[in-house]
Order: sequence, then C-alpha cells, then structure tokens
Amino acid sequence: MKSAGVVLFAGFAGITTSMLLALLWAPSVSIDAFESPAAQRIFYWHVPAAWAAFIAFGALFIGSAGWLFKRSERMWRLHVAGSEAGLATGLMTVWSGCVWGAAEWGTPWDWTDVRLNTFGLLTLLAIYVVLGRNSQPDGVETRDTFAAFGLYGFVLVPLTYIATRIWTIRHPGPVVGTDDGGSINGDMGLVLLFSAVSFTVLIVGHMMASMRLTLLEQKLQRLQAKTDRVV
Amino acid sequence: MEGMGYLAVAYFGMLVAISLWTYTVVRRSQRLEERMAALESVNASAATDVAPNDEATAP
Repeated sequence: MKSAGVVLFAGFAGITTSMLLALLWAPSVSIDAFESPAAQRIFYWHVPAAWAAFIAFGALFIGSAGWLFKRSERMWRLHVAGSEAGLATGLMTVWSGCVWGAAEWGTPWDWTDVRLNTFGLLTLLAIYVVLGRNSQPDGVETRDTFAAFGLYGFVLVPLTYIATRIWTIRHPGPVVGTDDGGSINGDMGLVLLFSAVSFTVLIVGHMMASMRLTLLEQKLQRLQAKTDRVV
Repeated sequence: MEGMGYLAVAYFGMLVAISLWTYTVVRRSQRLEERMAALESVNASAATDVAPNDEATAP
C-alpha cells in the first residue's frame, strides 16, 4: 500500500495544483468565441479526466483479455482496478462535461451528439461491471461474464476517440494532436499537459491500490476458509 | 467573476469527490489488514490449543 499511497498522494497534489493553475494562471479565451469564457476553464479538468478514463478502460480491456485467455489472477485484479477507475474517471468526465455544456450550450446533454453518447455508454458499462460484479459471488462464471463485457465494451473507446473527427455535432473537435499542430495557446497547453500527467499519476495510483485491495480480499477469503476448518 | 465562482465550486466539488473515493480505498485496505491480522491470531491460538490435546491423546 505504501508505494500506491505515494503515487496517489503525488497524483492528488498534482490535480490540486492543476486546479489552481486553471483558475488563477491559465489565460482567458476570447469572449467572442465562447458563450461562457469562465466555464471554458473546466476544460483543464474535463480533458485530462477523459484521458485518464481511456487509460482505465485500456486496463479493463487488458485485464479482461488476460483473464479470459490466460486465466491469470493478476489480470483479473487489473480488470477489477480498471473497471473501478473507469467508473470514477468516467463520472468525472461526464459531470465536468455537463457543467461545461450547461454554461456554454445552455443544455447539459445533447442526445444527438455521437461523442457524448458513446462516452456515456462507456461510463454506463463501467457502472454495470462494477455493481454487477459486486452483487455476484466470485467464481469462474461471474468472472467470465464481466470479463466479456470489459473486452467487447472496449470497442466504444476508439469509437469515442474518432467521433468528433468524423461527426462534429455539438462537442468541439480536437484542439491537440491534430495535423495543423493544434489550436491551443502555449500556456494553456502547459496547464493541460500538467493536468493530464497528474490525472495519469492519480489513476495509476488508484489502480495499484485497487489491485492490492483485491489481492487482500482473496487472501482474506482463503484465511477465512482455513479458520473455519480449524475452529 | 460570478462564472469563476461557480467554476471554483465545481472544481472543489470534484476534488472532494476524489478525496472521498481515495479515503474509501485506503480505509477498505486498512479494514482488510485488520481482519487478516485478527484471523491470523485466531489461527495461531487455535494451533497452540490443538497441539497439547494431540499429544495427550497420542498412544
């Protein structure tokens, strides 16, 4: 827990610093281009949270495949950690997006926008996997079922990534990683990068802690069974 | 500045949510470790209780 704790603390300190930089240091955007220029600053939270969600869903995919094809306990622990981290970061992304949407578009959600809906489905998938797994006794059948959801649900990740490149409906298109070098100011890019690194560190710390938690639960079950036999 | 106030509240709310999530993970880990230590001590005392009886009933 010690190494996970250090990584978690570093990530938490990083996201707190990025919040302060986003509020106090990052330059303002043009008031002509935005309905709500102040709300745009939630972008420094929304984009890194979505980035962290993709990392978590990637871990869920690898863990699910590792369990289904290798029957690896370590991969099962990665599945559990990825789904919990995916749920948390997915909710953070949806919540911050709704705050931004309400201020900028006048509505928190647009049911016709592809990216919003594919990402919403991804978060619902994480809710289903986490709640469903916790409501079932641990066993091969339960693990196979939820690993299959984790494996096939991953198709929503590339779909969400390319959504605004193919269908720009309401959600803005990419501002970094584009062919023309992106449309973001240097200082804004710095805060965004710092925030993305902080969210990555935080989510890795959470997944390390979660994997250890699952390991402890498994050890406890074995110890409980041994105690029941002895006493 | 009003917009910035709402934004600060939204940011702060998310930080609190992450803190709570982190706290629950750490707390769950501590509880599991406590339960494991308790079970290990039960197992150890059961083993020392059983050992003399085994000797006493041995032929």
